[in-house]
Amino acid sequence: MAYSLPLLATLAAPPAPGGSAADAELVAQLQQGSEAAFRTLVARFQGRVYRTAFSLLRSAEDAEDVAQEVFVEVHQTIGRFRGEAALSTWLYQLATSRALQHRRRQTTRKRFAFFTSLLGFTNQVLHDVPDHAHPQALLEGTQQLQQLQRHIGRLPAQQQVAFTLRYEQELRYEEIAAVLGTSVAAVESLLFRARHTLRQHLQSPTRHV
Amino acid sequence: MSDPTTRPGSDEEWAALLTQLRHQPEVQPQPFFYARVQARLHARRGAPRAGLPGWLRRPAYAALLATLILAVSGDGAALRAAPAPGHPGPPRARTP
Repeated sequence: MAYSLPLLATLAAPPAPGGSAADAELVAQLQQGSEAAFRTLVARFQGRVYRTAFSLLRSAEDAEDVAQEVFVEVHQTIGRFRGEAALSTWLYQLATSRALQHRRRQTTRKRFAFFTSLLGFTNQVLHDVPDHAHPQALLEGTQQLQQLQRHIGRLPAQQQVAFTLRYEQELRYEEIAAVLGTSVAAVESLLFRARHTLRQHLQSPTRHV
Repeated sequence: MSDPTTRPGSDEEWAALLTQLRHQPEVQPQPFFYARVQARLHARRGAPRAGLPGWLRRPAYAALLATLILAVSGDGAALRAAPAPGHPGPPRARTP
């Protein structure tokens, strides 16, 4: 498996403004097994974790599943969190890696289901993962936005995460670099390539979906 | 002529599209998210770890795998033909 536990990474993420001391205190309480601290953690970060997963999966159900899994993992591994990265960075790392993992599993499951359906082992109806367009896109009928989201979903994983964290979660370059465990220059490069690819796809008259 | 509303060619159109992406209404998990996380935690604690992969726990796959193992690993002893009448058969060990 290509995933390593992000909490063990030695990252030098800049602390979130005004949040570092509170987060450190929260982590200390979590490591002592405080139920109230866990409730606070979930309340404080559930929106960010859920939105990050939703941006990468475009499915409310899958985003919910991934977000739950992230907090369960936090609960189970908080004892090993050394505070080398900001708490938010760790959560973004977990959310992005688990969302991508979830998508890979879905793809594998879909292929396996197709294979077994060929062998006649199952009568399950095969269908594509529902494409939940964002409510605003539906309301305004903004084809462009839907197209953009579709093309974001087809970017290479690193570019997709960088683009999503930058343009949907509005993280700073330094924060994205910390989440991806890379340099700011590498993030700039990822974003440049992502923007270039997306603009090319959106300008191409043959790419209308 | 291309429709500019579907092809963000200029920098302004591209910037407008990114702004639109950024300013989407915030999605949120359904209410009682914490309760669902707790339920998953409890379920995880209570359930013993499955020793077998999920696909192997389905009877059809398990039967297929068992058949394959039998077909491949059998040494043929059970299928050896019985000696014909009058045939001396395999030599027996002599007793003193």
